[in-house]
Amino acid sequence: MSLAKPSKVKTLEKSLIFTKTIVQMNDVSASYDSKSYVLKNIKLSIERGSNYAIVGQSGSGKSTLLRLMNGMMNPSEGKIMIDYQTPNMSDKKFKKLMHKIGYIPQNLGLIKNSTVLENVLIGALPRVSGLNSFLKKFSDSEVSNAKKILKQVGLEGKAERKVYMLSGGEKRRVAIARALVQEPEIILADEIVSELDHVTAREIMDVLAEAQATMNLTAVMVHHDLQLALEYADRVAVIKEGEKILEIGVEGDRIVDFQSGNYTQREILEMFSDEPKE
Amino acid sequence: MNQKNNLIIGLIIAGVIFMSANVGADPRDFVEGLPNIGIIAQEITEVDPSLLGTAFWAMLETIQMAFIGTVIGVAIALPLSLLAARNLNSKFVYVPIRALLAATRTFPSILWAILFVIIVGLGPFAGVLAIIMYTVGFIAKLQYEAIEAVDADPMDAVSAIGVSKLQLIRFVVLPESASHLLSQILYIFDYNIRQTSILGLVGAGGIGFYIINYIKFFEYGKAAVFMLVVLVTVLIIDWVSVRIRDKYIVKSQRGMQVKV
Repeated sequence: MSLAKPSKVKTLEKSLIFTKTIVQMNDVSASYDSKSYVLKNIKLSIERGSNYAIVGQSGSGKSTLLRLMNGMMNPSEGKIMIDYQTPNMSDKKFKKLMHKIGYIPQNLGLIKNSTVLENVLIGALPRVSGLNSFLKKFSDSEVSNAKKILKQVGLEGKAERKVYMLSGGEKRRVAIARALVQEPEIILADEIVSELDHVTAREIMDVLAEAQATMNLTAVMVHHDLQLALEYADRVAVIKEGEKILEIGVEGDRIVDFQSGNYTQREILEMFSDEPKE
Repeated sequence: MNQKNNLIIGLIIAGVIFMSANVGADPRDFVEGLPNIGIIAQEITEVDPSLLGTAFWAMLETIQMAFIGTVIGVAIALPLSLLAARNLNSKFVYVPIRALLAATRTFPSILWAILFVIIVGLGPFAGVLAIIMYTVGFIAKLQYEAIEAVDADPMDAVSAIGVSKLQLIRFVVLPESASHLLSQILYIFDYNIRQTSILGLVGAGGIGFYIINYIKFFEYGKAAVFMLVVLVTVLIIDWVSVRIRDKYIVKSQRGMQVKV
């Protein structure tokens, strides 16, 4: 791998920013305890329909970045725009947008005692009236759509299984299906393939990549593994100690540096050469 | 650390001795009274089988009282516990609800029974009302604690979709805490059967009415028949709850232990 210097691509991207950007962060900082920052002066913009990866080691602040994007957390400084709206869970207008953000947390957040289908139908809840959802009554079209998506993610015939009976890879497919049932614009996935073997990890990534292509989604995925991120993402932001130190992507057989980072290729690879430490 | 522990244990023992002296709990009285156990034990063996029919019907009344009290109590407790859970509500909602529930728990069921005997008169209805009040206070506390212990991950994942609170309760809170809730309901029903068995002491119906009257007239043999029926009933209910637990609770808890 060789890292190229900032190229013309960067200027080209800038000119398209106003029409294509779905996520925009300007000098965003975040803190949990007001004493220390988890994220510092993050600038990034994510194009609609692209596959954006955020890579960093444990504690680098990458999960916080996702929580800022879906409004689960507010930035202490800076401005965030998601589809031209500022994320805020208590804002009714943003709540409508939340219906279109498929969020898959690191531990997936599945209901273990419910069936696969029940878990997946949770994604359809914004389209179901209060009373019907309380009675767990979904329309036939919602159920058949959910089943179609289960088939798409490779869980055909497992709709009635309880989630706790599934394997790790299958659970991830359920979480993806739940997000897809939302008919999302964006999918935010937090280390969805960590702790999986290489084969299963790639299978899961392929499922997401296929869904992204067919449904024209924007995917923002947090990873531990730089190699995997580069393989699937259009762009990779590297976060270290709360700061974005690089933004790279693969162009043909080269790695392009979109942000003039101060790190050499060797330094970047060294950062990720060790097994991730929890 | 060890010295500190020893000091604490020493203080607890000293406390027990000091307080026993204060309340007049003298072990010598117990030793002197021991022969009385023999008298009771002898009389208790003179069981009067002709009373079995009466005991059976009285027990049935007790079970019915406990059942109604438990079902209605749980039905009232569940919405209250959802309002009392800190992870679902603001302070302005959960603080007053918790205060109300704490007030309900202040009275043991026997005091509630006395109160309701005054209000609705002697009989099982007063007992049912007492059981309802006690169940609400007690089970709502256990349930809001179970609800607060629901894993934050599914709560986060589903809240992030922007669903309503009612949907969050229906699809995350209830299924995730269901095994705890069921276990607590079984426990309180078992407990209520025993509670209801003594409510007769204050005239609130059930088998306790017979037990206290026969004991008052020193007819331990007759009281024994009723106590025996209570014992057998409690054992049967215990056995049934174990089966229900095995079927619904143990299995799901095994599921909970599976790492995602």
